[in-house]
Amino acid sequence: MKARTQATADRQAVVTGLGVVAPNGVGADSFWKAIQEGATVLGPVTREGCTDLPLHIVGEVSGFDPAGLIESRYLVQTDRFTHFAMSAADLALADARLDIDQQAPFATGVVTAAGSGGGEFGQGELQRLWGQGPHFVGPYQSIAWFYAASTGQISIRGGFQGPCGVLANDEAGGLDVFAQACRTIRHGTDAVVVGATEAPLAPYSVVCQLGYPELSLARDPRRAYLPFTEDACGFSPAEGGAMFVVEAESAARGRGARIRAVVAGHAATFTGTAGWDRSREGLTRAIRGALDEAGCAPADVDVVFADAMGVPEADQAEALAIADALGPRATSVPVTAPKTGFGRAYCAASSLDVAAAVLALENGVVPPTPNITDVRLDLDLVTGHARTGELRTALVLSRGLMGCNSALVLRRSPDDRR
Amino acid sequence: MNGPVTFEELASLMKGRAGLTVEPEELESRRDSTFEEFDLDSLGLLGIIAELVNRYGRTLSEEAEACKTPNDLLNVVNAELNQGA
Repeated sequence: MKARTQATADRQAVVTGLGVVAPNGVGADSFWKAIQEGATVLGPVTREGCTDLPLHIVGEVSGFDPAGLIESRYLVQTDRFTHFAMSAADLALADARLDIDQQAPFATGVVTAAGSGGGEFGQGELQRLWGQGPHFVGPYQSIAWFYAASTGQISIRGGFQGPCGVLANDEAGGLDVFAQACRTIRHGTDAVVVGATEAPLAPYSVVCQLGYPELSLARDPRRAYLPFTEDACGFSPAEGGAMFVVEAESAARGRGARIRAVVAGHAATFTGTAGWDRSREGLTRAIRGALDEAGCAPADVDVVFADAMGVPEADQAEALAIADALGPRATSVPVTAPKTGFGRAYCAASSLDVAAAVLALENGVVPPTPNITDVRLDLDLVTGHARTGELRTALVLSRGLMGCNSALVLRRSPDDRR
Repeated sequence: MNGPVTFEELASLMKGRAGLTVEPEELESRRDSTFEEFDLDSLGLLGIIAELVNRYGRTLSEEAEACKTPNDLLNVVNAELNQGA
């Protein structure tokens, strides 16, 4: 692991656009307002077919009508997770003011992370298969439910013929996609539409989640998802996600784009499923690797967006990893997990954390961790109110239930004169 | 049901199965335009044919899937539906 060399400096990756569809807000402005205020929107699940299952408290996206943003010919052949992705991608592209260059059709690629995929769409077709027969299964099942659907549709609809891909890499995939975007940019592509969205709140998908011991089955929305506390009893799942436009800095400057943040470093490790204590070393190595690539010292980290699994052993491992990797800085660096206010959207959770980190860096504000008062671990967890401060470097952490650990380092835009 | 399948029904199927909005009158006047020009791809056509099979209770040959225009499709489908009627 070595610091970025001068030769690759002009292919530094920067964030130029951001789009969010989250349980606490559709659009980056609504999302930022909600997380800055520490709003909590966790509540009883209302999605059709899910209300009699043991999972009670979730984060649902409301006030979202995909028909307003996406043409019906795309809507009929896609699942809700792709509706989120296409809408968020539109918002990000508008934010970045990135138009397709007819002279350079291969200049823009797309990469998304996927987790539960098109579970609701797939369930519907499976019900038709077993309830009515094979002739009642629609032709779109093949492209709606699989993990690559969002990448494919964003690419087709936008005309983005550059390198495209999808990572099915656990929750950590939501951070790993940024590394993939950076690699794509270093190999010569100017822009990448990148991010992750999830729609795991449908009956089949929820039943799959009931197998996770880490899932919170609590009934009180204020007590269901309390990482880093004595009362941690698991995580509350959510739907939604975030999409971004990431470009080579030279390309962004060439077209006069506004640079929102710099993607400075990333690393990923895998520690398997033999116990959350194992993730400590994996996460430590991921943090060190990401800091190394960013050329960033532990003391330079101004805020940590935590994975916040909400299970005591996992929380402990995360706190220890932060201490192992950041040394003396670990007890003074502000740590936060806005996701306790709206839920953990699997691989989209880390994309939403990246969105929160970009907004935090821009605004010089660390959003709080909602619903939490008594922290039992040796971390400066930001609770109650948002905290203002000089923020130049953010560290985002993510772990997957199946053993992936990733860390991403973001820097404030070099054009930010504050 | 024995058909014939009309442009109106085809337009309705394009809307219901493929999310494409086209007036029956326009479909009829552009009956020899390709499905591609209406933004209907091969999967979309498959979905429409599957619905016709279910609706009329008759299987349709592979020739239906190979049709490139609304006019071709209606000719093929109506001919097959009327066989042995």
